Amino acid sequence: MTEISRSQEKHREGATIHLPAPTAWPIVLAFGCAMAAAGMVTTTGVSILGAVLMLAGCIGWFRQVLPHEQHEEVPVIHRPVEIVSTRPLVERIRLGPEHRAHLPIETYPVISGIRGGIAGGIAMIVPALIYGLIAQHSIWYPVNLLGGAGVANWRNPTTAQIAAFHWQWLLIAIAIHATTCLLVGLIYGAMLPMFPRHPVLFGGILAPLLWTGLLYSFMGIINPALDARIDWGWFLVSQVTFGVVAGLVVARHSRVPTGQSLPFAARLGIEAPGLIISKEDAGPRSGQSQDKKIDDEEKS
Amino acid sequence: MSDQTIPVSGSLQAAYPERGTLLEWLHGWIVTVDHKKLGILYITYALFFLLVGGVEAMLIRIQLMVPHNHVISPEMYDELFTMHGTTMVFLVGMPILFGFANYLVPIMIGARDMAFPRLNAFSFWLTAFGGLLLYYSFLGGFGLYGMGNAPDVGWFAYAPLTGKSFSPGHNMDYWALALIVSGFGTVGTAINIIATTVSLRCKGMTFFRMPLFVWLLLVVSALTLVTITPLTAAQVMLLLDRYLGAHFFDAQAGGSPMLWIHFFWIFGHPEVYVLVLPAFAIANEVIPVFSRKAIFGYPAMVAASVGIGFTSLAVWAHHMFTVGMSSAGNSFFVISTMVVGIFTGIKVFNWLATMWGGSITFSTPMLFCTGFLFQFLIAGLTGIMLAVAPWDWQLHNSYFLIAHFHYVLVGAIIMCIFAGFYYWFPKATGRMMSETLGKWHFWVFIIGFHMSFDTMHFVGLLGMPRSIYTYEPNRGWDTLNLIITIGAFVQAVGVLIFVWNLVHAYFRGKLAGPDPWDAWTLEWATPSPPPAYNFAVEPEVRSRRPLWDIKHPNDPDWKYEQ
Repeated sequence: MTEISRSQEKHREGATIHLPAPTAWPIVLAFGCAMAAAGMVTTTGVSILGAVLMLAGCIGWFRQVLPHEQHEEVPVIHRPVEIVSTRPLVERIRLGPEHRAHLPIETYPVISGIRGGIAGGIAMIVPALIYGLIAQHSIWYPVNLLGGAGVANWRNPTTAQIAAFHWQWLLIAIAIHATTCLLVGLIYGAMLPMFPRHPVLFGGILAPLLWTGLLYSFMGIINPALDARIDWGWFLVSQVTFGVVAGLVVARHSRVPTGQSLPFAARLGIEAPGLIISKEDAGPRSGQSQDKKIDDEEKS
Repeated sequence: MSDQTIPVSGSLQAAYPERGTLLEWLHGWIVTVDHKKLGILYITYALFFLLVGGVEAMLIRIQLMVPHNHVISPEMYDELFTMHGTTMVFLVGMPILFGFANYLVPIMIGARDMAFPRLNAFSFWLTAFGGLLLYYSFLGGFGLYGMGNAPDVGWFAYAPLTGKSFSPGHNMDYWALALIVSGFGTVGTAINIIATTVSLRCKGMTFFRMPLFVWLLLVVSALTLVTITPLTAAQVMLLLDRYLGAHFFDAQAGGSPMLWIHFFWIFGHPEVYVLVLPAFAIANEVIPVFSRKAIFGYPAMVAASVGIGFTSLAVWAHHMFTVGMSSAGNSFFVISTMVVGIFTGIKVFNWLATMWGGSITFSTPMLFCTGFLFQFLIAGLTGIMLAVAPWDWQLHNSYFLIAHFHYVLVGAIIMCIFAGFYYWFPKATGRMMSETLGKWHFWVFIIGFHMSFDTMHFVGLLGMPRSIYTYEPNRGWDTLNLIITIGAFVQAVGVLIFVWNLVHAYFRGKLAGPDPWDAWTLEWATPSPPPAYNFAVEPEVRSRRPLWDIKHPNDPDWKYEQ
């Protein structure tokens, strides 16, 4: 007879299990504590009563557990519980790249983002300069707007000052422009695979529209002087130019796997036998294990 | 227990005792040491105070419904918001969650009772009498305004307002003494849960096979031990100030009110996690069962829970940005608070990943958990906003803070508690709660919730400070306050539907059977309601989902769990 069988035999109908005996002493002790505390806000008599109850509670409690703990014999009542599932069919999720369809399985190499950013950055200069020539008769106007906004001594300059050449502002504008274009290009490289159907539509038009709208909303708070001088129509044209050119350049590169399905150690470049578990070892991968049917077959 | 115990004659003689006369029935409840009965007592006690605290909230909202309102007096208003906060945190939140823990922890780990059954009863009665003592202050408290003064200085009871000069009489003493008494009860229960979890697990139930519910209650209990202690210490210091002329919090005599603030929030912020982690625990059980999938990332969930426990001890001063700390202090508490967001983020992502690809059934418990997920996300985001010191400087003690806090306490904790009721009520009573009424409850409550607490954010952003008795018209607050109050009434209707559902189901509900949700943890392997001994034979488990293993012998979890 196994241990479990012996245990079940022991606890058959009519057997008993002993459990701690019910007792009133905990409530007496607790009430005594509360009364002792209540006496501090009422009268001393209440505290004395509380102390007496506490003493009685402690004595009663000790007598409950010393020298032997009191228990009650509770008869075992046979109420069998049938443990069955109403949904016996089991389906395991397949472990495959198709379950990552909404995350990039492949992405563009880092270099594509850098190239896209450089190309887009150069392309957007053209509409910006055209705007400067048409609106202010100076190609330095948009350059100074960008460069001037990035320095601390921008103190409400006149239009003539902004339209003039300042080599410091030019250098700052180049630095801001190059850094931003490279970073946005890298983001394009990372994000475009998430929009597999129309990457250039997203990168070229939707994304520039979104961040132009965002800047339009906040620029009045961040830098009101700059906000007053930005022509938002031309701004949008230059952003879309950047987006379309950067998107096209990135999209021309061939994609590489992201490696997200690989173990973390493998992605770190560690190579060792058994690092990647073969799919066959990872348990049943698909299909339905029809436990109930199998049980029925076994019974029959 | 086996050879070192003696039988008691005339004690409870059956696993399913008959009700008998009313006195016998009452006697059975008063002398019980059974963890299930004590769990139900905790929950019933907390439900009673939930209604009391709810009525107080309704009175507060009626007062604020329109400008220049004088439905209740300013003195009564102060008492109401103080007692509402104290009640909901100490007499509702903690007891109800410890009630769930009492009922479920032993049965989930295959034990027959808590490790210390008598201490368990003592802890409950201490908590209960503590609450009654607090409410007796409405009759016996003698404060600034004479007899019948409940505490009236806010649930955080900042010094020096609690000193004899500003709070004469006894109302603050009632507050401190009542919470000390119930605090000892809380500590007793926490010790019991830890001891039970560590020492009474059934065969095969290693720590990493415990249900997440039990894991989280273990963390909560440890956190409770660490956090109740400073509160109790501070309350004893307060009583020494008030009774024996000590000067811990008296700045004019060399003490410091800041000491109280630090002590209180060293308790107060982890207390939020003491309340919210059991809510997470309920979600951890409900979401997988109704998604028909094992919980996603069990080890990460355990790690995140423990991480929250530790980190929550290092964030208290984000409640105190406005007291003027140093830049280093501000920066530390901003960053540590942000770190909590990482752990809770892990949990939210794991719950979503559990639902992802699952065969989801939106029964009432799952509806409430889904609502919880959305609302807790918002609560977390506003929490991160308030964790940024300059933002907090602008909005501290505004209704924005109140909205954030209630998004956590109501939007997350109360929602999960409702989910827990619908989920485990069949186990405790053997009867199902009505799904139709449950869905009405959910939708009515959630509409009221968003009317009240979404709007409360805006009124806070417009500058309405917390705790004000009334306000001037035409400050942009009038309509918003009206909407908040209407939302409160809608929520009250939702709660009444719930109460009716509860009562109706208890007497007339459909019979549940042992496992109505086709669930996987050990409590569902017992009859509903379970016998006094829970299990006639000690169960043995081989995985985190023991009932899954039995139900699917050809595809058990233990084959795959590491």
